[in-house]
Amino acid sequence: MKIVILGAGQVGSSVAERLVSEANDITVVDLDARGLQQLQERLDLRTVTGNAALPSVLREAGLQDADLLIAVTQSDQTNLCACRTAATLFKVPTKIARLRSGDYIRHPELLDDNGFCVDFNICPEQIITDYLIKLIEFPEALQVLEFADGLVSLVAVRAVEGGPMVGHPVADLREHIPRIDARIAAIYRKDQPITPTGDTRLRPGDEVFYLAARRDIRQVLNELHGRDRPTRRIMIAGGGNIGSRLATATQDRYQVKVIEIDEDRAKALGASLNGSLVLWGDATDENLLNAENIEDMDLFLALTNDDENNIMAGLLAKSLGARRVLALINRRAYADLLQADRLDIAISPAQISIGTLLARVRRGDVAAVHSLRRGAAEALEFVVHGDMSTSKVIGRRLAALNLPDGVSVGAIVRASSQDSLGSGQARVLIAHDDLVIEPEDHVILFVARKGLVRQVERYLQVGLAYF
Amino acid sequence: MFSPDLISEARIGCGMEIASKKRLLETLAELLAKDHPRIQAETVFERLLERERLGSTGLGHGIALPHARLKDVTQVLGAFVQTSKGVDYDAADGEPVDLAFALLVPEEANEEHLQLLAHLASLFSKAGIRSRLREAASAADLLEVLKSD
Repeated sequence: MKIVILGAGQVGSSVAERLVSEANDITVVDLDARGLQQLQERLDLRTVTGNAALPSVLREAGLQDADLLIAVTQSDQTNLCACRTAATLFKVPTKIARLRSGDYIRHPELLDDNGFCVDFNICPEQIITDYLIKLIEFPEALQVLEFADGLVSLVAVRAVEGGPMVGHPVADLREHIPRIDARIAAIYRKDQPITPTGDTRLRPGDEVFYLAARRDIRQVLNELHGRDRPTRRIMIAGGGNIGSRLATATQDRYQVKVIEIDEDRAKALGASLNGSLVLWGDATDENLLNAENIEDMDLFLALTNDDENNIMAGLLAKSLGARRVLALINRRAYADLLQADRLDIAISPAQISIGTLLARVRRGDVAAVHSLRRGAAEALEFVVHGDMSTSKVIGRRLAALNLPDGVSVGAIVRASSQDSLGSGQARVLIAHDDLVIEPEDHVILFVARKGLVRQVERYLQVGLAYF
Repeated sequence: MFSPDLISEARIGCGMEIASKKRLLETLAELLAKDHPRIQAETVFERLLERERLGSTGLGHGIALPHARLKDVTQVLGAFVQTSKGVDYDAADGEPVDLAFALLVPEEANEEHLQLLAHLASLFSKAGIRSRLREAASAADLLEVLKSD
């Protein structure tokens, strides 16, 4: 695929890095020639220095041949202008814009084909905030991701001693919770994927991925992990874009404290966040943390825009007695250093928000993608089309599918008629051998190794005779 | 084999300088919409793209058969492009495409259209035909080869 990325900031460069590794033809545009040069030294891509809102610059970037435009500069206005230009002058099929301001999103009529021609808009800060909200709601989970407009969740959880299912074979899940349907899609044991069968016994320490209807995820968590004390008190280090969004979204249900180092910013937040306590100070200051009862915190989230600060604040909070600690860490090497025991959850912001973009790069009608285990694995939601003769999967039982080892179907979401999933009529069908795939089904697959994605795409695509 | 209306010299592009799948589909859409009273190149381009997204129509051996349904056409419409250099088309065999035959069919696709598609696929499976199409130096030559079988 030919892809033009506008903006070589944190979002743009991490997207470029990920997409380059998948044999795409990438051009990155930015005003900053030095930043581009560094990117080019590291990655096999083309760069263009210039203002991404200008037609001449976009032409130089090869937009006339591009399949996809990813406009992720710091400026919403530049991104919007580039999308409109891409549509009018270059007929680029798919245009994605990063929009940080909620203002534009509140007016979808501005974004459609008569307006700025934005096919998809993304706000990485909001995606990360939503991700964090799930972890606050389900403290037992490592990850809670959504498919099919939220009807199905993919949950990652560490199996612990004392969880009722731990020590039992996977097949016992149905007996343990008879009215709940869930599918264990993958198990990682000491970081190695094992393909679960009915006989696989769950062991303490296993990282288990399962799919279930949203309403059922709690019961399954209890089986694998036991029940933790619910989250009540939260401390957020960093009142930036993500920290303030998260405080706004959670302050009605939890006791929220926000620590912000910039005095003016702290004052502004104090005025706008009515349900949170905003503190002006340094989250790596142990006196401040102690004075604010860090040992009573159910969750400490280090969300500043500085990796080192997040790591130090997180480690400090952990040692001072915060029950669970989570930190945003952009640099992969840092995340690797801090595996498992030091911080409870290290989150790579780029990793979380890349899924929305990957869904546009995957071949076939892909509704959603989540990148898992730092890009090593992937979960995809495919919409299948055609019939017995034009599709390799429609009309077949799941057991009869010819999927490579390491790939499994976890669930199918089926709309009642031609309605979209949002109509409330869709049914969640958890995978079992005799389930037969129908046209327009949303098939949710777990792919244990990224290298298998290509094969899965080909297998689920329609054949030549599909009109 | 072809009905005389399926393809004409006017809807054939020879030796075109095209560097991408996107431009190839755009060019085919323009040829298909040319001289047709009711259809617009942009709509055709969108429909070809949509179909392509569900699965590549790259057959292998440098051949592609992009196709789509469109409610504004009453009979099957074809266009053909030979490019000067192959473009990356995400084809089954990974080979770049330099010969593409596009088909536009009425909304109610039937057995006839499937047969036409099958006929084209079998025509292009012949190495002799492919090399004659690659050697052709004008739209008229290309049309002659296409109709020769």
